[in-house]
Amino acid sequence: MTELPPTHSQATRAAALAAAYIRYRHGSPGRGLVLRAVHRARRQDIDGVGHKYHLELVLEDIFGKDSTVNCTAEVLYHLGNKISAPDVQFTIEGELKNTDEADNICYNRIKSLKKELEAENIPDSFGNVSPEMEPIRVLAWVASGYVVWQNSTENTKYQLAQIKHVKQVKRSDEYLEFDYTILLHENVSQEIIPWQMTVLWHPQHGVEVTQNSPQPKHALD
Amino acid sequence: MKVLLVFSTIVVVAFSEQLFVGDQVLRVTATDEEQIALLRELGERVELQVDFWRDPTKPGRPADLRVPFPSLQAVKIFLESHGISYSIMIEDVQQLLDEEKETMMLSRRMERSANTFSFDSYHTLDEIYSWMDTLVADHPNLVSKIQIGESYEKRPLYVLKFSTGGSGRPAIWLDTGIHSREWVTQATGVWTANKLAEDYGHDPTVTSLLDTLDIFFEIVTNPDGYAFTHSSNRLWRKTRSINAGSSCIGVDPNRNWDAGFGDSGSSSNPCSETYHGPYAHSESEVKSIVDFILGHGNVKALISIHSYSQMLMFPYGYKRTPAPDYEELNELAKNAVNDLAAVYGTEYTYGSIADTIYLAAGTTVDWAYENGVKYSYTFELRDTGRYGFLLPSSQIIPTAEETWPALLDIMVHVQQHPY
Repeated sequence: MTELPPTHSQATRAAALAAAYIRYRHGSPGRGLVLRAVHRARRQDIDGVGHKYHLELVLEDIFGKDSTVNCTAEVLYHLGNKISAPDVQFTIEGELKNTDEADNICYNRIKSLKKELEAENIPDSFGNVSPEMEPIRVLAWVASGYVVWQNSTENTKYQLAQIKHVKQVKRSDEYLEFDYTILLHENVSQEIIPWQMTVLWHPQHGVEVTQNSPQPKHALD
Repeated sequence: MKVLLVFSTIVVVAFSEQLFVGDQVLRVTATDEEQIALLRELGERVELQVDFWRDPTKPGRPADLRVPFPSLQAVKIFLESHGISYSIMIEDVQQLLDEEKETMMLSRRMERSANTFSFDSYHTLDEIYSWMDTLVADHPNLVSKIQIGESYEKRPLYVLKFSTGGSGRPAIWLDTGIHSREWVTQATGVWTANKLAEDYGHDPTVTSLLDTLDIFFEIVTNPDGYAFTHSSNRLWRKTRSINAGSSCIGVDPNRNWDAGFGDSGSSSNPCSETYHGPYAHSESEVKSIVDFILGHGNVKALISIHSYSQMLMFPYGYKRTPAPDYEELNELAKNAVNDLAAVYGTEYTYGSIADTIYLAAGTTVDWAYENGVKYSYTFELRDTGRYGFLLPSSQIIPTAEETWPALLDIMVHVQQHPY
């Protein structure tokens, strides 16, 4: 087991992946968990299996600026990188703030729209996000955690750069469904990758990405 | 310009809407007293309405005549038939008047001082270039504008020079916007340039700094890319040079420097965001800086500002070997990052590029370091990914304000450790 400086690129990439995964598992339009700091990172090379990172992280909720939460995570990157998504295990210390009220308000507001929601360029070039679009944006960010997790390797660090387009899909049941085209920014190659994802959400059932695929680069213009 | 002075009277008339379309101003030189008399006679012919801007006085001295359009033919025939030589000084008075009016309106706009610019919003290339002229006009004894070259699409590459005199003083190079999509950097550059100009003569640290060193500041290091982020693709990073044999455009200007050029940490694929280019310094945006710094010969520090990630880094990017000055550079980075955090609590990490972010070959900072610039740093400003490149403009000033003490730390260290 090797101790890594917490600011070392290998540590920060594994931490970003863990945070993306945790964000997906626990996120909602009312809760956006973001990586605040890496306190400790160790790397374990397991012969024939891969590299396992042991991390001590601090996360914070974008909706509660000063409320941080500590967690530990283990990220296993399998040998032969591209074959399967890394395994992530995590434990959150303490309780996360309850977001039922915020989630329900958001859910009801979208449910009551007369027409299916549709928008583009969130944020816009100047970083603006309208208040009505903020939950849609957080939802994309939470859902992108899944895409990031599924596609990460030790040599990548993904962030959601922008929502190019979002369209609500009409459903007969109680779920909300959105078809997103997002732009992912991969920090090592610096590439901007368009990605399509279909996202289901219900306050009681959480966020689920039912479909996702990379789009050709010229899909941007 | 004399014409301008002469114009001041005509302008008043122009504003009362008399038009001078097609009128010309002829410069006439009489060779003897007889010709002088003839010119005076010309002036007395009321129906011609010839207006002397400069009277005929002595032979050999030019006289300037404004001739209304309807009289032009008659006056020219008169002059020619008497062998009086003339030239057309102003081809169309009205056109010149119009241009002058426009210039005046422009200067009125420029006359609004540099520090009332809206630092809290993102600006177009033209607006930033225009603002630079205002800054120079406001601080003529401190700031001047130099052009170090042209971009691929032939836009001027401007550098602001901050200097209180001397000759070839040790200098610090600052650049922002080498990657065009990193908008908070050009915006921070504008704020910082203004801050330097405003603080000189008032803040003891800045005053001492600029009394000792010169600062060269290139705010829009990649103007073609920047224009493209406004017109077409907000997330454009590279230059806009055409790549032979490829439909993909642009070279990563931060992989095009001759330090580990072409090594891993850059791409040989023109379609890639980290394409290093066909050869080192192939990009005029890069070559211009190389030539400037080498030509200057006394640049002691280089700070290249990027976004995002909240990091302060130093060489090397192209290899994992620690730089010879690692200890000193690391310690200085640590202090700078602490002072940055003290402003708004923004947390930065620091270290060598290779350790902290990734292997990157052919970077500005590595080139500078290997060409005698010991204090070579690169910043990655706000944020850590929440908005990324699309940082809201409300964060511009806080970003600039917190980065300022970090910049000062580095610059003061350079001042106190001459080499």
